[in-house]
Amino acid sequence: MIRVLGNFIEIIRGSVITARHFIVNMWFHIVNLLGIKTQRKGAVTIQYPEEKKELAYRHRSLHRLVKRENGKPRCVACMLCATVCPSDCIYVEAAEDPDPEIQKYPSQFIIDLSRCCFCGFCVEACPEDAIRMDTSLIEVAGDNRDALVYDKDNLLR
Amino acid sequence: MSDILIVLFKIMGTLSWFLTLTLYLTWLERKESAVMQDRVGANRANILGLRIIGLFQPFADAIKMIFKEDFTPRFSKKFLHMMAPFVSFFFVAVTITAVPFGDYVKIAGKTVKLQILDFNVGLLFILAMLSLGIYGVILSGWGSRSRFSLIGGMRGAAQIISYEVALGLSLIGLIMVYPTLKLSSMVHFQGEMILGFIPQWGVFLQPLGFIIFFFAALAETKRVPFDLPEGESEIIGFFAEYSGLKWGLFMMTDFMEIIIISTLITTLFFGGWQVPWLAADGFHFPWGGEWLLPHWIVVLFQVGAFNIKVFFFCWLQVLIRWTYPRYRYDQLMDLGWKLLVPLSLINIVGTGIVMSL
Amino acid sequence: MSKEKTKMIHIQIDGKSLEVREGTSVLEAALQAGIEIPHLCYHPAFPSEGSCRMCLVEIEGRPDLELACSFPVKDGMKVSTQSEEVTKARKNMLEFLLAEHPLDCPICDKAGECKLQDYYEQYGFFESRFEEKKEKKEKKVEIGKTLLLDQERCILCTRCIRFLKEITGTRELGLFNRGVHTGVNIYEGNPVENNYSGNLVDICPVGAITDKDFRFQTRNWFLGSGPSICPLCGRGCNIDIEYHPGFPHFPVPKRVYRIGPRENHRVNGYWICDYGRYHYSYIDEDRQEQIVDNKKEKLDSWERVLDFLKERIKKLYYMNKTSRIAVLTSSWLSNEELFLIRKIFQEDLNVEKIFLTDPLPGEEDNLLLTPERSPNSKGASQMGLNFKELDLNKLAERTEVLLMFGSHITEHFATAQTQEAIGGIETKVLLNPHISDLNSLMDVVLPTCVIAEKEGTLTNVKGLVQPFSPVFEAKGHCRPEWEVLVNLAKKLALNFRYYSPFTSVKPIFKKMQKEIGFFGTKK
Repeated sequence: MIRVLGNFIEIIRGSVITARHFIVNMWFHIVNLLGIKTQRKGAVTIQYPEEKKELAYRHRSLHRLVKRENGKPRCVACMLCATVCPSDCIYVEAAEDPDPEIQKYPSQFIIDLSRCCFCGFCVEACPEDAIRMDTSLIEVAGDNRDALVYDKDNLLR
Repeated sequence: MSDILIVLFKIMGTLSWFLTLTLYLTWLERKESAVMQDRVGANRANILGLRIIGLFQPFADAIKMIFKEDFTPRFSKKFLHMMAPFVSFFFVAVTITAVPFGDYVKIAGKTVKLQILDFNVGLLFILAMLSLGIYGVILSGWGSRSRFSLIGGMRGAAQIISYEVALGLSLIGLIMVYPTLKLSSMVHFQGEMILGFIPQWGVFLQPLGFIIFFFAALAETKRVPFDLPEGESEIIGFFAEYSGLKWGLFMMTDFMEIIIISTLITTLFFGGWQVPWLAADGFHFPWGGEWLLPHWIVVLFQVGAFNIKVFFFCWLQVLIRWTYPRYRYDQLMDLGWKLLVPLSLINIVGTGIVMSL
Repeated sequence: MSKEKTKMIHIQIDGKSLEVREGTSVLEAALQAGIEIPHLCYHPAFPSEGSCRMCLVEIEGRPDLELACSFPVKDGMKVSTQSEEVTKARKNMLEFLLAEHPLDCPICDKAGECKLQDYYEQYGFFESRFEEKKEKKEKKVEIGKTLLLDQERCILCTRCIRFLKEITGTRELGLFNRGVHTGVNIYEGNPVENNYSGNLVDICPVGAITDKDFRFQTRNWFLGSGPSICPLCGRGCNIDIEYHPGFPHFPVPKRVYRIGPRENHRVNGYWICDYGRYHYSYIDEDRQEQIVDNKKEKLDSWERVLDFLKERIKKLYYMNKTSRIAVLTSSWLSNEELFLIRKIFQEDLNVEKIFLTDPLPGEEDNLLLTPERSPNSKGASQMGLNFKELDLNKLAERTEVLLMFGSHITEHFATAQTQEAIGGIETKVLLNPHISDLNSLMDVVLPTCVIAEKEGTLTNVKGLVQPFSPVFEAKGHCRPEWEVLVNLAKKLALNFRYYSPFTSVKPIFKKMQKEIGFFGTKK
């Protein structure tokens, strides 16, 4: 009986907590709706497409291929990114560059973003600092799978 | 002729009130849970960019449900499968006929009661109809011919029947105090005062009865923390095989039950349309003051008071639904049979002793 | 070899007692015992040079560290390969070697199998202290038709120079200049153009000499490797086929990326010729992968094809007209397959018209390449098949069923000539791994496997029977010929008890050993 009574008190306490949340939040909602600015908001959520959160400094966003001064990709197609990629989403094809100091450049560089898990290993593996994930583009979406297969032209920026 | 028109009008009015409230209870549920959880809630549905804090959400829901495929499993019993949601819906919808919204209103010399039908046995009618709603649950479980649905339906039936007992018994004390089963008379009876200033509401006369009734009624509505028949997230309930509008009817039934329970609590325990110290001609304060009002203002006060009380209990039920986790089935049965039923029996005996003193 | 006369002596390397032949070097002794001593310039095929100085070891009683590759063993010698002094010396040697070595690993085809890379990871791991600019040298010198030289990457081990001196005797490469400017190069106007130039890529411990054929194709760590036998001449050189197993989500243009030698001193030593190295395209290019059905008889599966063949052959068999069957074999088939042809057609069906169509002989060189351009000409000649002289008229005369293995007949006769001759034959079936001009002449073309995809044995020109196993799976409908022949024999219901155990190559080989003396005596 005492246990039941204890349960009963806990039940009441529970609803008091939730009711308090409701009333406090509702108060701020109403006050804000009336146009009065308060330090606290009624909700902690962010209204995403309108409000955007600032990305962290180390945030891993869409990949990019870094360019040399002359606009060519810095990438030398060493395929370490493709090797380290845990989701096997990078495909590189190498070709001969006329410049003997460069020798090798990627004739194809494909990232299948529908498979990419944004782990950033490719960035870590790159010996030439040629691939980075600092574009701050996080809204990567497409109507079909092919739209998410980014090639060299999409990635060079 | 005009009587029939009046009845038709009353039916129309009541039903539209009932269904609109049901519709917006879905909105309330979303918004209230959101505010409780420091969120904003559904606010995207709009008409031409007009959002008004998500008030159009129910319409979006309705449109979505209408255009969803009405899927009937190949193996189901088609007729029963189709009937089940309508049975559920019907038995809940008819209960509203016995609920008094206000006292009466005088229009063109006629006195019109603000109640579709003033039964002699209004309370029993409501209880009976609520109990018949179990057929919807059983039929949907049986007609789907899916094991999950059937077991869900059985769980639901067992739960509702168990709590029916506690629900009925908790009201015996009330019936002993109010010398009637007619709901309008009950409300009138609650207009009087205890010791001259406390309104003679059921909750003051039968506090224990109220608590038992409230718990049992929550269980009757099959919502969290008593949502074992449905158990949508894991144990899968009786409408697992439903989709589209039929599923929508089940959901509407749920929300309508919340409203019915709220109206019942209001009518039985919280004075129905009674406003404290408001008589037919105006306020008569216990400390001797008087504030006379015209008839239609009084009617507005009464209907408004009824609505506010109903809204409050709807709010309270949603609050409870979003606060507690689900009971385990044995705990549920323990609560019903080992706590609520004995307590209601004690309540009856205690009421009898007090009354005979 | 004077095996009996060499004295066995006892030495100790890292506390491990070893018994080695007198006259071996410390490095050889250690390698025989499985003790790793880093070395770059030493190669077992040449006399040691001692130019890389990576194999320094500490020998008890010697004041300085000694070169393991050129220091002969002495009785009771105690060698330490892991002492503090040795590791320090190695580290310092690596630092010297890497001082002028460019950081080309990302673009170097050797990366991943580069010994310098491995040793740095194993014994180096120092911070570079070299602050001066590295010496600029030629990055891309074409030293041969398939070879590129990068002088910056070269560590001057002179393995390439010694190879050209010792093995081919052509001496195209030499060391030029002095001091820090020293570099390997060709003598002006004389590129490396012998038939063994590809081996320079294999023996170069770093990426100084790279292969144009493999250049930038892929990275070598993506490649799998499988042992096989080179089918391009009668020598039967042991090779490793390096193939790309494919990326999970991206198609790869081909399977085989390069061929490397597999050490076998009975056949090819450490080397293979360029002909075998660079003509691997037969594995992936122009491959027949689907059954071609020119008769439109819905022969879309092997089951149906075999039923079709069975009917044709059975008919002639019952009418006792098996002389109207002609079989064209080829020495690109393995011993087992030739044996099955002999068994089924010559012995069971009494077919008389069995011909051998071999590729035309090519040039030979004095080292490995033989004039025969097929891997099993010796096996075919020893199989006991009664080959008729290849003559189109004889072949077509009164023939109703023609079974052709391989398309080498196109090398002997023009296609139009062949078409004219065999046009009247009722049923013409070709089993060929490649798409050829004959496809349109045939009724049915069945895709078969190349050596790299099947199992069997081959007999090289010296009579050595060498087994091979599949390196990768066959594509499409391709089936090995032995499987087709066994299934055909089963369909024809010829001596079921004889053919039913032939579910793999092993039992066929055992049967062959029993029945044909040539294979029974050797293995």
